[in-house]
Amino acid sequence: MAIAIKSTKAFERPHHSLWGDAIVRLRRNYFAMIGLGFIVLLAIAAICAPLITHYGFADQHLTEILQGPSWKHWMGTDQLGRDTFARLLYGARTSLAVGIFTQFIVICIGLPVGASAGYMGGRVDNYIMRFVDIMYAFPDILLIILLRSVLGGSIYMLFLAIGLVGWVNIARLVRGQIMSLKSRDYISAAKAMGGMGRYITWRHLLPNSLGPIIVSVTFNVPRAIFTEAALSYIGIGVKPPTPSWGAMIQDGFNLIFSKPYMLLFPAIALALLMLAFTFLGDGLRDALDPKLRR
Amino acid sequence: MTPLLQVRNIKTYFHTQDGVVKAVDGVSYDVERGETIALVGESGCGKTVSALSILRLVAEPAGKIMSGEILFDKVDLLKLSDEEMRKMRGAKISIIFQEPLTSLNPVLTIGRQISEGLEFHKNMSVPEGMQEATRLLKLVGIPHPERRVYDYPHQFSGGMRQRAMIAIAIACQPQLIIADEPTTVVDVTIQAQLLELIKNITKEHNTSLILITHNLGIVARYAKRVFVMYAGNIVEYGSAMDVYHSPCHPYTAGLLASVPRLDEPRKTRLQPIEGQPPDLIAPPMGCSFQDRCGYCIGECQKETPHLSEVTPNHYAACCVSQKGSRQWQKSS
Repeated sequence: MAIAIKSTKAFERPHHSLWGDAIVRLRRNYFAMIGLGFIVLLAIAAICAPLITHYGFADQHLTEILQGPSWKHWMGTDQLGRDTFARLLYGARTSLAVGIFTQFIVICIGLPVGASAGYMGGRVDNYIMRFVDIMYAFPDILLIILLRSVLGGSIYMLFLAIGLVGWVNIARLVRGQIMSLKSRDYISAAKAMGGMGRYITWRHLLPNSLGPIIVSVTFNVPRAIFTEAALSYIGIGVKPPTPSWGAMIQDGFNLIFSKPYMLLFPAIALALLMLAFTFLGDGLRDALDPKLRR
Repeated sequence: MTPLLQVRNIKTYFHTQDGVVKAVDGVSYDVERGETIALVGESGCGKTVSALSILRLVAEPAGKIMSGEILFDKVDLLKLSDEEMRKMRGAKISIIFQEPLTSLNPVLTIGRQISEGLEFHKNMSVPEGMQEATRLLKLVGIPHPERRVYDYPHQFSGGMRQRAMIAIAIACQPQLIIADEPTTVVDVTIQAQLLELIKNITKEHNTSLILITHNLGIVARYAKRVFVMYAGNIVEYGSAMDVYHSPCHPYTAGLLASVPRLDEPRKTRLQPIEGQPPDLIAPPMGCSFQDRCGYCIGECQKETPHLSEVTPNHYAACCVSQKGSRQWQKSS
């Protein structure tokens, strides 16, 4: 009772891959789209900063220091007479890049390391996780300072330093997820069909553990931005006068009682970015759960 | 002709903190080409572990196949490398798991999961695999297979998922299918349909089937030979007819007495087998069924009974029946 099906064309068209479905579901999620929209808008604004404001991020207007918001300076000026709005736009470049590139590095290292530790188990797992524990035992900031002095001061090395310290969290998370999932029946079933270890890890285990990973990554983006801010504060982050939101918040913090708007604008911007990432992360997690497919 | 599968004295032990659990302790059986055999016994008697041992899928590192031989087409599966064994799984031997609800990956479409084996073993591309998956879904009786092939497991009912599991198992046309309690979680009407489906498919392709079950009702209908397992050992085997009508081990008789029958008056109470199966870490000396057996004699506590032919082609491991006494047959 073989059924003749002539062309495979019909099967290629309605391609419902996990990701294809996820995008459809994500687009229906109002909040996630707002979050994504905000991030995209901010990224465009950061890239097109010279077109939006005619002030440079390092231009000092020494007759106009520490001013409040006005038509001339929309968000006021800082203690060196630099336009806060311009610095905020240019600073978005640094902060978005720090947030996103460090997480990229974190995933590139943490995911394979955690997945192999979790899947292989036994001795491999033991060695990897003891190393992770050692990394974990040191304060992050100490390791980053150490790496900064080894790697040098460029902004790319800053991403690398934060990424090289941050991957341990993801590795632990992924390992835990994989370990709990690998005893599931469908993993035995995939093995019983002749699946290879690597195939099972990538196709069965990782997609099932994506939810927590994505949530963790989206929450780690603002954390990386804060880390950069802290590093800028102690003078090993972004070199002045290059602006970053973190550095601006630190500047504003010093004058919190006399000139609160200096803190206010970058802080609001950072809070909105965090919220946007959170919405997006939540939306992605839901979108990747096929049970919510309508 | 040599049988397709010859299981020779396999011992699968689990090393736990409390000691070594002898889940399967010296089990042997043969499966001929195209034959259906049944492994029956209560929960925890080693049926599933003995089946997983054939595929070498016993959960490591705790579980380990200690000794024995599993000859599949004259090749000892226990001597194959991991890669060679991987090529056997799904292609030559496949398994239908007990729980269709958890044996399907929730984030992959049904079609992809069926085509997986074809991609591994037949080098099919994804569209080819999906096309074959559609054909298989139709074969196992899923309506609108061309649409359902893109569905996720949670969009299938329990019975449909089990059908999909059957489709996965038969995808590469294996020579041996192990069905591990395939109908335990579905209702009676679906059970009958699924078993007919499995029976027809195995008949069509001359596939051998190991039917693992604790439902004695279905055994009689589908299996030619029955192997009764108790506490990690086979205690009785023979043709389904012989085992049903003249059980030679009191455990089999007890199992049969605990099944409701239509030909008995309604008021008749079922007779459960009293007590618990023995501790598999430290089994008692002698017969493993002695504590629950109503026909126990002195010898039962001294020596472990071995399988021997009680009547032609009907074997039992029981000291009492080997002496020629079978009081339990009267009562059943």
